[in-house]
Amino acid sequence: MKFDKFFALAKEKGLSEAQIQASKSKSTSIGLFHHEIDSYSINDTQSIVACGVVNGKFGICRTEKMGKDTFEFLINGIIDSARVNEKNEKAELFKGSEKYHKKNLYAKELGEIDIQKKIEMIRQVENDLYAYDKRITEVDDVEYEESESLSEFYNSYGLKLKEHSNYFAIVASAVAKQGEEVKTNGDVFFGSDLSKFDEKAFVKGIGDDLVSKFGGVQCPSGKYPTVLKNEIFSPLIAYFLGSTSSDEVQRQSSFLAGKLHQKIASSKLTISEKPLQKNFFFSYFDDEGVATMPKDIVKKGVLNTYLYNRETAKKDGVETTGNGVWAGNKIGIGFCNIVVKGSKHTFEEMIAPIKEGVYITEIEGLGTGMNSQSGDFSCQAQGYMIRDGKLAEPLNLITLSGNLLKMLNDIKGFDNRMKLMISSTTCADVLIKQMSIGGK
Amino acid sequence: MISKGLAIKVLNEALATGGDYAEIYLEDTDAGSVLLENGKVETAGRRNVFGAGIRILLKTASVYGYTSDISEKSLLALAHGLAARFTGTRLFTVHSIEKQHVKVVNKIDDHIKDVAIEDKIALLRECYNAANAVDKRVVRIQDAFTDDYKQIEIFSAEGEIGKQFENTEERGRLVMIAMATENGKVETSFSGPGRFAGWSWFKNTIDYKAKAADTAKKAIMMLTAAECPSGRFPVVITNGWGGVIFHEACGHSLEATATAKKLSVFSDSIGKQIANTIVSAYDDGTMPNEWGSNNIDSEGNPTQKNQLIKDGICVGFLVDKFNGRRLGMEANGVSRRQSYRFEPTSRMSNTYIAPGKDKAEDIVKDTKLGIYVANFGGGSVNPVTGEFNFSASEAYIIRDGKICEPVRGCTLIGSGKEVLMNIDRVADDVGLGQGMCGSASGSIPVNVGQPTIRIKEITVGGRGGKLQ
Repeated sequence: MKFDKFFALAKEKGLSEAQIQASKSKSTSIGLFHHEIDSYSINDTQSIVACGVVNGKFGICRTEKMGKDTFEFLINGIIDSARVNEKNEKAELFKGSEKYHKKNLYAKELGEIDIQKKIEMIRQVENDLYAYDKRITEVDDVEYEESESLSEFYNSYGLKLKEHSNYFAIVASAVAKQGEEVKTNGDVFFGSDLSKFDEKAFVKGIGDDLVSKFGGVQCPSGKYPTVLKNEIFSPLIAYFLGSTSSDEVQRQSSFLAGKLHQKIASSKLTISEKPLQKNFFFSYFDDEGVATMPKDIVKKGVLNTYLYNRETAKKDGVETTGNGVWAGNKIGIGFCNIVVKGSKHTFEEMIAPIKEGVYITEIEGLGTGMNSQSGDFSCQAQGYMIRDGKLAEPLNLITLSGNLLKMLNDIKGFDNRMKLMISSTTCADVLIKQMSIGGK
Repeated sequence: MISKGLAIKVLNEALATGGDYAEIYLEDTDAGSVLLENGKVETAGRRNVFGAGIRILLKTASVYGYTSDISEKSLLALAHGLAARFTGTRLFTVHSIEKQHVKVVNKIDDHIKDVAIEDKIALLRECYNAANAVDKRVVRIQDAFTDDYKQIEIFSAEGEIGKQFENTEERGRLVMIAMATENGKVETSFSGPGRFAGWSWFKNTIDYKAKAADTAKKAIMMLTAAECPSGRFPVVITNGWGGVIFHEACGHSLEATATAKKLSVFSDSIGKQIANTIVSAYDDGTMPNEWGSNNIDSEGNPTQKNQLIKDGICVGFLVDKFNGRRLGMEANGVSRRQSYRFEPTSRMSNTYIAPGKDKAEDIVKDTKLGIYVANFGGGSVNPVTGEFNFSASEAYIIRDGKICEPVRGCTLIGSGKEVLMNIDRVADDVGLGQGMCGSASGSIPVNVGQPTIRIKEITVGGRGGKLQ
């Protein structure tokens, strides 16, 4: 789609500045159940988010309907939106960064691999999961997904940016039964290079974790040294990073307000954002067109920076950190490619000194169990007891409660099992001095 | 949105390789939202959701695709691509399409889409003023109004004569969030009344100023709350939004999405006792103008009142067309989806535990030591194991039959099978609460509901040590 007419019409209708972001997405997914293809989906969509400035006020409009009236609809929507906007700050769009670190993320080879080969890959996963342990009674989900997206950014200052990427994901989950007990477990592998998918390791990971859940008990309620699996620590870190948003800080809604450059966590904790790291989450410009940049957000326990967009940066008299991301009808704060520094120790070495503790491998309900303003949280959990430095009986239907800041202050160490999660966080397992466990 | 002639072409393209059912779901949604931050308009905007989803079924296999381009070329290409997954020969050709009568259960005279944004802002400003007057410790107030005007057209065929359905969904929601702080403590409170209704319900029927003030008062009250104790206790759960416990503990596990593949904890439960005999429950998409109601479902079936549990016995599932094939059961008007981007499946609408004979105050009076949950943040469930969790946003300790001090950070967990049997008291005060339910076919509006109930014992998680 050509956007010259959009900018011409925007000018004609009185917009002093205008911006348009157009996204195109194509995806395919195939699911098996009982060795047959039971779901297959192909999708092809496009959408536009447009914004602009009218009389110093910001306005926005979105559409998925492409036609001769699209630009008029968008511009009228921007004008209506700006008309009622009561923000005091004068809105202005971005003229452009000095340098952008563009990389090619589109893996041409992925799309060229025959679909039958991809189907065979998930057939193998399904067959191997059924064969892995006789207690595995169902493979309730095994899917291959492939997606390609093209995102274009233009504004009335002549800024033109483009990102083109693709990826695949293999998702599987299985059900196992032992007597009356029913357990489930699943995993997802994603990337843009199919040759990196280690099918045997993927199946083994799901199978081993699944059958080891049988015989789960509730431990007595109390406070225990707690090891959080990397997959559990990752969403907790994401909530913590939500509080590094300068927008939340400026509205006094963050527990990190007033704590910049202070020690807020254990000196073992270093959290970095690496948006230019080449993987699926790579992004070289934010939703304002600002070039992204690597940064240490927490370094050895000290809060190094808040995350800024242009508006919040202006309020604090600093430069934007390139973290402007659409949040509904405004530019909010987002992040990608977060890396939490691990250590050289193995998991076994990390838990060896624990006389009695818990190892949490799964949590549920964090979305509703988290108070983002205070950092207090409580959620359903499962895992294992740790006794005399070794994993012991499985735990089921327990609760994990804590406070984010207290938890980060109580970090005693990490192991070396660094994993890149679909949440875009890379982190290892972590040992926390003490957390509240609810059980019997 | 497309002509009958084009619909016939697309359906026939979809059915070319032996599919026994094909469907085109077209959507044109105009959605608006306005947000006030401490009484000032922070953002306002409109969004158009537009496109088509095509589904082909062949026995127990389904293919689904969607596109935001509803031109003839695009729809035929999509239908062709989907049909290529089947390798059979055509079973029938669609010759004509008959438009079906859709009974309008949810009548609306004053469409929200016709209300000037200034009127919505004025109402939100009144909400802000009411909340702001409560207490100086309320430091952040967010008031938002969102509305959807969704026009749907469905063409489907499982024989030579296809069907056409037209439906309009209109919903509005008022969202009020208050944040209070004191001595480093921060608490937020939320209220979100919503309805498949016109503007007058918001403007004239609900007492929005009282709700806004109440939201602020709850945030203030929670500032004094101690940490919730942990362990296993009796828990009394309030009516209305408290019904999220039934939604998570049982409702999802009764959806055919889970039961058809025998993956649900309740897969083979019809005719069996799954709850205490004092528990009966329904899912009713026909309640006029309720948040989870609709005139028809995503397949064109009229919505229904479906009984799920009768006196503790499981008597029904929520069944969509596709999963009904595995179950050998007829669809019962529960196929739902967020938008054309989602393949429809069985989902809840307005789900509630039926009234019992107890009085709410007697249930509290008869509880010596336990927890009273007055409001929930939400929850989730694994339908295969039936294990669920939900977080209380407002809870109190019950001592000697009286509701006493508030507690915060309270999570309830359990398994659906266990908790339904452990409901030992059911009051007569059924109420409904509005929420958004996220599952296989996206995020959809649902009502949860129940009278005040007591669970004689359930695991409670918190950081407050033992209950004393």
